[in-house]
Amino acid sequence: MSLRELKVCLLGDTGVGKSSIVWRFVEDSFDPNINPTIGASFMTKTVQYQNELHKFLIWDTAGQERFRALAPMYYRGSAAAIIVYDITKEESFQTLKNWVKELRQHGPPNIVVAIAGNKCDLSDAREVSEKDAKDYADSIHAIFVETSAKNAININEVFIQISQRIPVIDADGSAVKGFKLRRQPSESTRERTCC
Amino acid sequence: MMMKESKDEFTTSGDRQNAGRTVPNGVSRDQTKTLSLLQGLRLCQDAWAPKSPWDSHGAHAALWGRPSGSFLVVQGSLSQDQLLCVSVADSGEPVKEFPIITTGTALQLTTSHLAFPDLFQLLHFYTLSRDVLPVCLLVPSWVYTLINLPDHLVPLLGPKTWLCPSSDLQANSMTSETQGTAEMPDTVLCTIQVTAANGALCFINPLYLQEHGDDWLAHSPASPVNRPIGLRRDRRLSTTRAWEGRGLKLRSSTLAEDNSSSLDHDKGSSSPVSPSTPEGVVLRRASGTSKEDPLKRASTDSLQSPLPQSPHRVSWIEDKIWLNSPLPSSLLQPPCLELDSLSVSSMEEEFEPASSPSLPSPRFQLADKMKNRLSAVGQALGGLVSPQRRLSKRVQEMAERRAGAFAEAVRGFVEDTLAGGAAPGGTCTEMLQDVRSALTNLREMLFDCPEIQSITDSVGDIPDFELDAMLELALHKVALKPVYTHLYVCLKTARRDDGTLQRLEANKSTLENRSLEELEGAAGAGVPDSSMMDKIQHRWTTMHEAYSPSKKVDTLLKVCKNIYHSMNANAKPGTVFGADDFLPCLTWVLLRSDLAILQVDTDYMMELLDPMQLQGEGGYYLTSLYAALFYISSFQPRLAKRQLSAEAHQSLSQWHRRRTLHGNQSRHSQNRRTIRRHGPLAEDGNSSKESSLSDRLQEALQGLEAELEAVKEEEEGRAGREQAQVPETLDLTCPERTDGERTTGNHRILN
Repeated sequence: MSLRELKVCLLGDTGVGKSSIVWRFVEDSFDPNINPTIGASFMTKTVQYQNELHKFLIWDTAGQERFRALAPMYYRGSAAAIIVYDITKEESFQTLKNWVKELRQHGPPNIVVAIAGNKCDLSDAREVSEKDAKDYADSIHAIFVETSAKNAININEVFIQISQRIPVIDADGSAVKGFKLRRQPSESTRERTCC
Repeated sequence: MMMKESKDEFTTSGDRQNAGRTVPNGVSRDQTKTLSLLQGLRLCQDAWAPKSPWDSHGAHAALWGRPSGSFLVVQGSLSQDQLLCVSVADSGEPVKEFPIITTGTALQLTTSHLAFPDLFQLLHFYTLSRDVLPVCLLVPSWVYTLINLPDHLVPLLGPKTWLCPSSDLQANSMTSETQGTAEMPDTVLCTIQVTAANGALCFINPLYLQEHGDDWLAHSPASPVNRPIGLRRDRRLSTTRAWEGRGLKLRSSTLAEDNSSSLDHDKGSSSPVSPSTPEGVVLRRASGTSKEDPLKRASTDSLQSPLPQSPHRVSWIEDKIWLNSPLPSSLLQPPCLELDSLSVSSMEEEFEPASSPSLPSPRFQLADKMKNRLSAVGQALGGLVSPQRRLSKRVQEMAERRAGAFAEAVRGFVEDTLAGGAAPGGTCTEMLQDVRSALTNLREMLFDCPEIQSITDSVGDIPDFELDAMLELALHKVALKPVYTHLYVCLKTARRDDGTLQRLEANKSTLENRSLEELEGAAGAGVPDSSMMDKIQHRWTTMHEAYSPSKKVDTLLKVCKNIYHSMNANAKPGTVFGADDFLPCLTWVLLRSDLAILQVDTDYMMELLDPMQLQGEGGYYLTSLYAALFYISSFQPRLAKRQLSAEAHQSLSQWHRRRTLHGNQSRHSQNRRTIRRHGPLAEDGNSSKESSLSDRLQEALQGLEAELEAVKEEEEGRAGREQAQVPETLDLTCPERTDGERTTGNHRILN
């Protein structure tokens, strides 16, 4: 089985719950074999997708306007970007649109864009309708999911859909920065279990 | 998963090297006793595993009132699997059932993670350790002597004999077992005892040491040997579980049975503290499939447990030790040359343990005795940690060899680099790029070197990037150590010339009195207190002193960890701090540090780090460090509510694009031996065409003034403006865009 490292960057206004989403995604599957990362700004999780292992290297960015110009350093080389907005804050949805535009122009050419409308547990305070957001996402061919990091709704969905959209590995492997785990399964198992 | 593991265990258990890795932690038990129990169980299988019509009902009836630990194995009523029925002498439920499941060739109790190749070994283990059982299994003493019994008598043994404690077999007059009082003077079933007194090899959880120190190691167990079997059995492990039973696994009893000769052989040559009698029981973590974090669990264990009593129980091994040094069996030769690879005293000259991914670092002070023990562990693990050392050593030798091609290349590189600063017209960044491509060239050279290949081949099938990282690290010492101070001087000069250092200083005084909130940090996140800041300053110094960019990154990660620690210190539990909180906090720390030195180190790392390493955690925090420094150096009060200039943005992208191109190049090389050779050429081509980072920065700064004007205008006409124009400087397909195009395309970036 081959392992592919997929850099995923998180964009969105401060306070929309970027890191909470990732935390949710990562925490439930704490893999004792992977060294935990030192903080929530950078986290990893490996999931199996078909006959590949996808190791997500998740790069969080600071959402404050003041730091926004630093984002290119972070999203450069990403296979996917998750742009998060808060369904109870119309403004965060506008920011999202700006991120989409910036990525289209500055981002990696084939970057997979996923839009996550977070805090869907607070639908009473909703300011962004699901349909509007969905229509927008469709218009830019982005993945769209409403999530709740708080209630763990649709968190895995986002990443599953990213896995699905990542281009299939070429026969010569040149499309991606992956490497083959050439070790025999039994051996790689042993690494983890040897006395 | 479990299946694979256990299968694997069994297939490899015969390997000689397992003797080195296996912790033969039993003491003073005559090995023949193990054999005789296994063989005895085998011989009288009909006695304890009666065939149909015996079922669980029959077993319950037969076991009722029997001594605790008495057991029978019968066929389960519903499935193919067998049932282990155990008398637990509990008035409520005197007999308990434990299904034994078969997964492929391995057997295990459904509730346990321990798997065994056959029933005999499973039962044997549970006579020693109860694991998930309420009590240890009780085996009649005559079973041990069964091999001495005339063949014709054996078939006569049935469940009745098995369960009847008074059956007296002529072969041995040993008193039969009654509950908890069986006397087996020469059979000491304390394989799970690890005693310091006897010099058994201990694996010690460093967390435990942190909490409790290592004084307890000096306590000698009262009498670790000759403990009557009954006492052992009766000791309820649950009360002392944290130290007593956890993590113990039967590696494979076949080890003891089938490989006694090789074990015996090994024991002579392996660690001096290895116990005299190898056993099949080794310390290990419960299971790779366990969802639970063994590190966490280990810490819980050790934190909760009181000071352990002798005989000393040892705790988990940190996973990392095994994980990052995946070695195939071929490599696990007795680690003669690397006896003290793990010992505290033999750490590389540079501060804390090298290549932090692989070794838990004993940061705390250790008493000598602990060092010795760690050293002993090092001997056991030597085979696992040695490749890097062997590689480094060999590379060093090669670099010193007279008239060697590699030595010549290194010498040439060092001379060129040291002379490089004086070369007219060459910028510092270009020089660093040259250094980077020279490192890549040297690495390729090493790859093609038979001496190195013999080492890398023996390391086995590890991913290319790990091999790259190992060679890089080995190279740093021979190539970078002689030149790094020179590079520092060049970098510093370049940064002074382009004004970065001056701006850092100026803006530092503007910003340093701002609180975290004023730096856009969220309320709730803490900042390092003064003692933590001292620690961080110390680490910055360490980072600056390191010549290897990889080691610098390791230190950077430690600083970031310290920062997280401070952020969390007074935060509400459960708060998750992402980049929104981390970047301001990092900025806050930087404003209290020597920015000039940090800028030099950051440039050094960014240009010299293997591009492959830029995607991971180190790359992330290096990017954050770079970003925070950039934020400070380009801070403009008048732009306070706006972004950095587009020029700045662009120069960052330029840098990143260059690195990405390089990175992809090496990543894409499928046939490394051929393609890699071409890599450097292409890289040279690229790097000379591209603008250097500092050039870009300079341009950025020159553009700032014009930018300010533009901003003013824009602010006036802000309402109703269309989407911002975005420069197209980042188009990867046209990397050679001219400067003219760049400046014209530059207006501002998005809001």
